[in-house]
Amino acid sequence: MAMVLGSLEGRAAERGPAVGKAPATVDLQGTIRVSGAWALYPMMVKWAEEFRKLHPKVRIDVSAGGAGKGAADTLTGMVDIGMVSREIRQEETRQGLFGVPVVKDAVFPTINGNNPVLATLMKKGIKKSVFTDLWIMGKPLTWGSVAGQAVPTRIQVYTRSDSCGAAETWAKYLGKKQEDLKGVAVYGDPGVAEAIRRDPAGIGYNNLNYAYDMRTGRPVAGLQIAPIDVNENGRVDPGERLMSKHDAIQAVLAGRYPSPPARDLYLVAKGNFKGTSLAFVRWILTDGQRYAEEVGYLKVTPGQVKESLKKVR
Amino acid sequence: MRFPLLFVHVLFLAIGVGLFLKAWPLLAEVPIGAILGSESWHPLRGDFGLYPFIMGTLAVTALAMAISIPVCLLSAVYLSEYAGTRIRESVRLAVDILAGIPSVIYGLCGILVIVPLVRELGEAIGIQTTGYSLLAGGIILAIMVAPFIIALTVEVFRTIPIEARESALALGTTRWEMVHHVLLRHARRGVMAAVVLGFSRAFGETMAVLMVVGNVPQVPGSLFDPAYPLPALIANNYGEMMSIPLYDAALMLAAFILLLVVSVFSLGAHFTLLRIGRFGV
Repeated sequence: MAMVLGSLEGRAAERGPAVGKAPATVDLQGTIRVSGAWALYPMMVKWAEEFRKLHPKVRIDVSAGGAGKGAADTLTGMVDIGMVSREIRQEETRQGLFGVPVVKDAVFPTINGNNPVLATLMKKGIKKSVFTDLWIMGKPLTWGSVAGQAVPTRIQVYTRSDSCGAAETWAKYLGKKQEDLKGVAVYGDPGVAEAIRRDPAGIGYNNLNYAYDMRTGRPVAGLQIAPIDVNENGRVDPGERLMSKHDAIQAVLAGRYPSPPARDLYLVAKGNFKGTSLAFVRWILTDGQRYAEEVGYLKVTPGQVKESLKKVR
Repeated sequence: MRFPLLFVHVLFLAIGVGLFLKAWPLLAEVPIGAILGSESWHPLRGDFGLYPFIMGTLAVTALAMAISIPVCLLSAVYLSEYAGTRIRESVRLAVDILAGIPSVIYGLCGILVIVPLVRELGEAIGIQTTGYSLLAGGIILAIMVAPFIIALTVEVFRTIPIEARESALALGTTRWEMVHHVLLRHARRGVMAAVVLGFSRAFGETMAVLMVVGNVPQVPGSLFDPAYPLPALIANNYGEMMSIPLYDAALMLAAFILLLVVSVFSLGAHFTLLRIGRFGV
């Protein structure tokens, strides 16, 4: 729906060639057109900026508009590279869509900071079956029944109205598709965060960068991350406690946080990456990885990189 | 003179035919009755039931009309018959500004003000609700169309000759009786036109309604239930069009139905106006 088009040529040109970096061995040129998932947009902007320092003659146009748009634009040849924040669907593979994972992030269940049973939840956590009851079965549960207390407030479930990777990933965690998620649907990641911030009885889910404040690393003011009782032992173990973005990243890296909702983010092309795009994607998989944490993502594992480099050749 | 008229008609037909052709792949596979009557919206499984969206559209529109028509009519009567020049001019300015505000801003205000208000109203009468509901959508739409309807209605009232008012008052009616028997009666056609124009203008303003209505594909059972109107369906899912088979056809069909609903609505109003014209006021 909304489209952001940012040509990075002007900005990078002002800065001139990067000082102190090895000069590019190949004199790349041409235009790379990129579109797709909001989840990857900030990362892609950073990559484009850094890549252009090495190859000033390359022009990179980045636009966002959701994972579905990224896949669609790539298949119709509107762009060279698509950004997709969920696994690539079979229907898309059949039409020739090919992709490699380039970074990871995760989706987290979020609740209001004034949740009526917050203290108990922080101690006992929430089991996956409760999420299934809420989002898939649409059962009218109360917060009391989840916490084992006599609190009659009904849980109000929120989901996303736009088709997006976050919802798809959350649904996959619960063994379903986005279209199977029940709950009041709100537009966009910030929309869900705002709805939860305003509803003490609410529960929703957000991407890493919307659940935690960029600057402080704590959950966004008014929000809490609902701890998932991953091992189902009835309490929140130290490894399941995600009080800060650092905790969350560590839990995802160590595989303590389940995947999904931890997920890979993909770059896709029709067939395979070609020419300048190929060089860009190879750079993203190697040197580009070091910018991931700075922007708030996780690197992909060395094993994934090796496999991807083999595939994009 | 004739050419622009022809152009308008051709354009309308072209849009209609275009949407219909785009929707055809779905219609060729699934009977229209099964699409319009089905409540199951699961694109990945190939279920494209539009019934909840059609009902959502009708419900939001009906609610918005129910809220805004009385308020707008009474405001217009006050502005044209009772208010002093200074109040009239300042309100006219405010109405003009309100009419120009982008719909996404109405949507944001809706999330920040109306959704919590609806939630509290629900709590006050013992219904727990998220506030993202049919009622919130109806209120937002009612507020958005109000400037158009008020401005047009005031204009209509101004066309009624002052002598008509004076002769009624001279017969000893009160001012309200004059408004009731003379003003509203004479202006009936114009008021109808104002309402229809206001709604046609606001009908496509998808964004604000989409932001507060909850977007759950189900037939709303009460004012506090979420709904999912057709324009919101199209706007939310347009980005996903290419990757799921027949999805684009389903969205185009939704657009085609929307066009039909709006056309029927406008034509209905048009013929009502004609009838009023023929049989006199």
